[in-house]
Amino acid sequence: MSGYNVVGQRVPKLDAAQKAMGRAEYIQDVRLPGMLFGKILYSRHAHARITAMDISKARALPGVHAVLTGKDIPSKMRMGFYKDNPPLKADKVCCFRDEIAAVAAVSEAVAKKAVSLIEVEYEPLPAVFDPEAAMEKNAPLVHEAHKSNVLKLPWKLHYGDVEAADKASAYVVEDRFTTTWVTHCCLSTSGAVALFDASDNLTVYSNTQIPSLAQKDFLETLGAMGLKGKRVRVIKPVIGGGFGSKLDTYAYEHIAILLAHKCRKPVKILFDRKEEFEATSTRQPTVIYIRQGCDKEGHLTFRDIRMVLDNGGRTSWGATTPSVMMMPITSLYRVPNVRYDAKCVYTNNTYAQAMRGYGNPQATFAIESCMDMLAQKAGIDPVAFRRINQNEPGDVTPQGFKITSCGLAQCIDAVEKELTQGRPLEEGEGIGYASLIHVGGGARIYKSDGCGAILKMDDYGRVDIFTGGTDMGQGLDNMIAQIVAEELGLLAEDINVVHTDTDVCPWDVGAHASRSTFVAGNAALWAARRAKQTLLAFGAKLFEVAPEDLVMENRTVSVKNDPEKTMPVDKLLRKAHFSPGGTMLMADYFYDPPNENMGKDFKCNLSVTYSFGVHGVRVHVDKETGKVTVKNYVAAHDVGRAINPMLLEGQVYGGVIMGLGYALSEEVMIKEGQIRNPNFRDYKLFTAKDAVPIKAPVIETHDPDGPFGAKGIGEPGCVPTAPAVANAIYQAVGVRIKDLPITPEKVLAAILKQSKGS
Amino acid sequence: MKPFTLLTPATVEEAVALFGQHKETARYMAGGTDVIVKVKEGWMGPDYLINLKKIPGLNDLHKNEATGELSIGALVTHAMLEQSLLIRNAYPIIYDAVSNIGSLQVRNMGTIGGNLINAVPSADGAIPLIALDGTALLVGPDGERSVMVKDLFVKPYETVLTPGEILTRITIPAQVPRTGSAYIKFGRRAAMELPLIGIGVLLVVDEDLSTCTRARICLGVAGPTPLRAVKAEQMLEGQPVTSDLLTGAGKLAAEESQVRDSVRGQAWHRKEMIRVQVRRMGLRCLDIINQKARQA
Amino acid sequence: MTKTISFILNGDEISCDIQDHWTLLHLLREELGLIGTKEGCGNGECGACTVIVDQLAVNSCLYLAADVQGKQVQTIEGLAVHTGSLHPIQQSFVDNGGIQCGFCTPGMIMSAKALLDKDPKADQEAVKHALAGNICRCTGYVQILDSVAAAGRQMAKNQGEGAAAAKDPGTITQQSMNKKAGEVIT
Repeated sequence: MSGYNVVGQRVPKLDAAQKAMGRAEYIQDVRLPGMLFGKILYSRHAHARITAMDISKARALPGVHAVLTGKDIPSKMRMGFYKDNPPLKADKVCCFRDEIAAVAAVSEAVAKKAVSLIEVEYEPLPAVFDPEAAMEKNAPLVHEAHKSNVLKLPWKLHYGDVEAADKASAYVVEDRFTTTWVTHCCLSTSGAVALFDASDNLTVYSNTQIPSLAQKDFLETLGAMGLKGKRVRVIKPVIGGGFGSKLDTYAYEHIAILLAHKCRKPVKILFDRKEEFEATSTRQPTVIYIRQGCDKEGHLTFRDIRMVLDNGGRTSWGATTPSVMMMPITSLYRVPNVRYDAKCVYTNNTYAQAMRGYGNPQATFAIESCMDMLAQKAGIDPVAFRRINQNEPGDVTPQGFKITSCGLAQCIDAVEKELTQGRPLEEGEGIGYASLIHVGGGARIYKSDGCGAILKMDDYGRVDIFTGGTDMGQGLDNMIAQIVAEELGLLAEDINVVHTDTDVCPWDVGAHASRSTFVAGNAALWAARRAKQTLLAFGAKLFEVAPEDLVMENRTVSVKNDPEKTMPVDKLLRKAHFSPGGTMLMADYFYDPPNENMGKDFKCNLSVTYSFGVHGVRVHVDKETGKVTVKNYVAAHDVGRAINPMLLEGQVYGGVIMGLGYALSEEVMIKEGQIRNPNFRDYKLFTAKDAVPIKAPVIETHDPDGPFGAKGIGEPGCVPTAPAVANAIYQAVGVRIKDLPITPEKVLAAILKQSKGS
Repeated sequence: MKPFTLLTPATVEEAVALFGQHKETARYMAGGTDVIVKVKEGWMGPDYLINLKKIPGLNDLHKNEATGELSIGALVTHAMLEQSLLIRNAYPIIYDAVSNIGSLQVRNMGTIGGNLINAVPSADGAIPLIALDGTALLVGPDGERSVMVKDLFVKPYETVLTPGEILTRITIPAQVPRTGSAYIKFGRRAAMELPLIGIGVLLVVDEDLSTCTRARICLGVAGPTPLRAVKAEQMLEGQPVTSDLLTGAGKLAAEESQVRDSVRGQAWHRKEMIRVQVRRMGLRCLDIINQKARQA
Repeated sequence: MTKTISFILNGDEISCDIQDHWTLLHLLREELGLIGTKEGCGNGECGACTVIVDQLAVNSCLYLAADVQGKQVQTIEGLAVHTGSLHPIQQSFVDNGGIQCGFCTPGMIMSAKALLDKDPKADQEAVKHALAGNICRCTGYVQILDSVAAAGRQMAKNQGEGAAAAKDPGTITQQSMNKKAGEVIT
């Protein structure tokens, strides 16, 4: 049907059998000769001065090789893009998560014991935990040198004339929404192993999503340590879940490097689950004020959003999520006038990082909840209201996004059809909808949005492809294998994808922004095209035809319309190899999509293409307990083309359940800066028993720039889930919950308040 | 985990003697699902763990056909109870409570005795045994004694057991005809939950299938120990059980409770849940009674 | 205290020295090098360390190594050993998208095996109940539940084909293996 043999097939994940047999090696399983174990000591206060630290007992413990404190690290070492975070803090702590000392010892038990022997004296300081309070004049300063708790970041835009549009609107709604901390909960906890060779070249095993940028960060660390001109090699073991958590480098990686250099031995730091909750990052929490209007016919007239983001005590990528929130704010539905202002504010809480969707779920929660409120005010059915405002191919949004392929309309149709067919609504049930836009072709957030691919073919018709991209379970290996196999007329199993080692793999900006299928896929596709060109040129000589007259299919090269003239690929490869002046098939490609950097006013075409989706959900609300039960869920996405429908569905299902957790159950509970539920007992991930029936209609719009028409789909599954649920709850029982997660307490409180009011 | 020596006695007497030898440096261990976590987390650090799992008979589960008494060995696992047809058919309140403790893996290891002795306010296992008027048999250095399960708990993590005493079995008196019982654990998700609130109701009705002759309303996470809402029970006894009466009993039970705000839930909502679920569980009891009456 | 224990590990009788405070997970991973069993939380709250002891799925992170004395222990490494091919549950997880990052997979498969060995026809509610202690963050469980259902069908079929003669009820028969190989070639 599609005319493709491998693309579009449900090829099992290439590493699935290894994983099914328990043979995949994760960071937990990395063990090097002579390896020591590192442990980190964290702050006991949310905000305090360190007045004294005594490490003598720890150092004296047999088996301890090194103890490091903030005083021992190079003064220039700073982590994160805002450079406010030394890997060990010397004088002052700004949150419970602050690392203040570290130990390397012969075993985990000894390291743990040694850490417990470090004596620290603190002078507690007044702390601030509410970002809005932290903006007030007399609020305690989290970083005195910064002079203000508000970060100096440029998240502000205004396109069109919001005030005029506001005045001219027939209907306007406004409200306040909040989203709280949730966290990635990768089943594999974080960890790293660092070791130096005799010449001070560094190797780091780390389950990172950004091998090339991690390499750069580690080189900076070496520079600060006075080790200029040395090499850094980053090796990724099999990654046990990413979801954005591994998009920055963390203190534990830099500490492992410092300890390894001090001890001249490999040092491994592996988090336990409590540490994973307490010392890794969260999704960015937000306070959102939204005002939105439409005209009499229901056309959106303006959207005006102000946000306060709790930045916590230090800065990681969470502070840049407003740059992605701009996407739904300016470009989800046609809205001519847009204003947005976001402030990131230091507090003494934990701090946020990238997490699947990168700000989009938070912004979409407010926008799509508000869409239903506005539709109601305008007296228009929520689905019809979305149709009136839907994005269309050829649109240029106020931010300058050029919409090429766009299947939002088809997605709305598909979801509505699935949800309204069959069983009528029962008492206490309601249906809610929400849409999404996300970058589908990468996003230029760094100087380069590129990815390299190096391809070689052997004498047996097999391909090794070295990609900069990262598979952390989402299935990039298959995308690359299926794309390359399709292009070269091979089978997916003929393709070996290597993505684990910066010594052999080319550069890539990282596994984020749902970009890997598109960017790493295109790089692989172009490398395959180059290889094909070379091979066909050789074949053309052999068969005495033009290269255009040859086809590669079913592991053979044949002359079109002449079935006699055919040769298995492996034979042709050997002929090329062993002919005089022999040729080995090798090709490479660096693909950098024509995505634009954000200008001063943030106008740009951030991504060469955009993915769209619509989610719909039927819920039941128990009016006496406030408990929300998801009856069924439909998530339709415009993916351009499904390279592998099975893995695509896996991304959607996984995203939806993560989104439902965000909507209903998950929450890192923080009280006065301290995490109260650092375990799976009280951090409520969905279990198999909570799993809900999900349908995932796939809309294929064949994107002109995507590899075989494909767009990114890694993140969208969890983007509009929370507002779809909130809208369904409103339809069911008439209460609107504006604060995530939507717990039974919140729903019941709203129901009781409503019944008292009436 | 802090190293310890594992002692594996073959009889209860031997276990008690071993404890006498090592005193407070020793702890008993049944299924281990709580003890091992506590040792790992450093909340306790015994030098000796006295492993009760190899003592024959402690995991015996049977009903005495002559007396109608149910005997549950302290080392009977949650999974054994969950998978027992006897429990499922005749003691639905036990089934309801144990079938959702932790995970199947935990239920395969964790024991009913351990669940009681752990003495957390959220112990699912305690509620049905209290509702069923269960008695715990304790064996210690000074011999045997019996304590009603409802009187077992002093405060969180503390029971009436004296040093060296072992809970060996729980006996449930013969059930009166026309008994219905049910338990619900209310939480945010469908499994792997500690209850936000746990509500167990047991009703016995007269031959008219309506007048309540005995009521038990037992609450978990509603105070420092599992507790009975005695006033609410009294409200039901002697009255024809209706939805309205159960609503009233639920209200009273909520007032009797000592719920608090915690990470897992807010006090006001816990009260609401008691109010609602006492009624719902009461109605389920009536359903069970009526169903059985129809079958008979 | 050190002691020597003997038990059957994946069909092989073994004897080894252990410390009393070692968990079964420690014994398997750190002493015996069987890294297929994973530690996700260490407190019995995620199921990544699930193994089967005498037909019961247990959290090896809470199970004392000393307690396996005289027992039969199955780990993920033991599933494919008899034939060199994947066990039907493993194959089904591969074929049905039940595996993404793979960290929960060994534990998930062991929980599924403990269930399907007893009841290959377990319905979806029973499967959910048995797997509720195995947390997965990647898949949303949908394809895992599909995988277990499909594996159950295959195992029921294998039993019908006379695999009952095999020692391990989950072992693939030669007959079904040949058929499988045939499927791959065509």
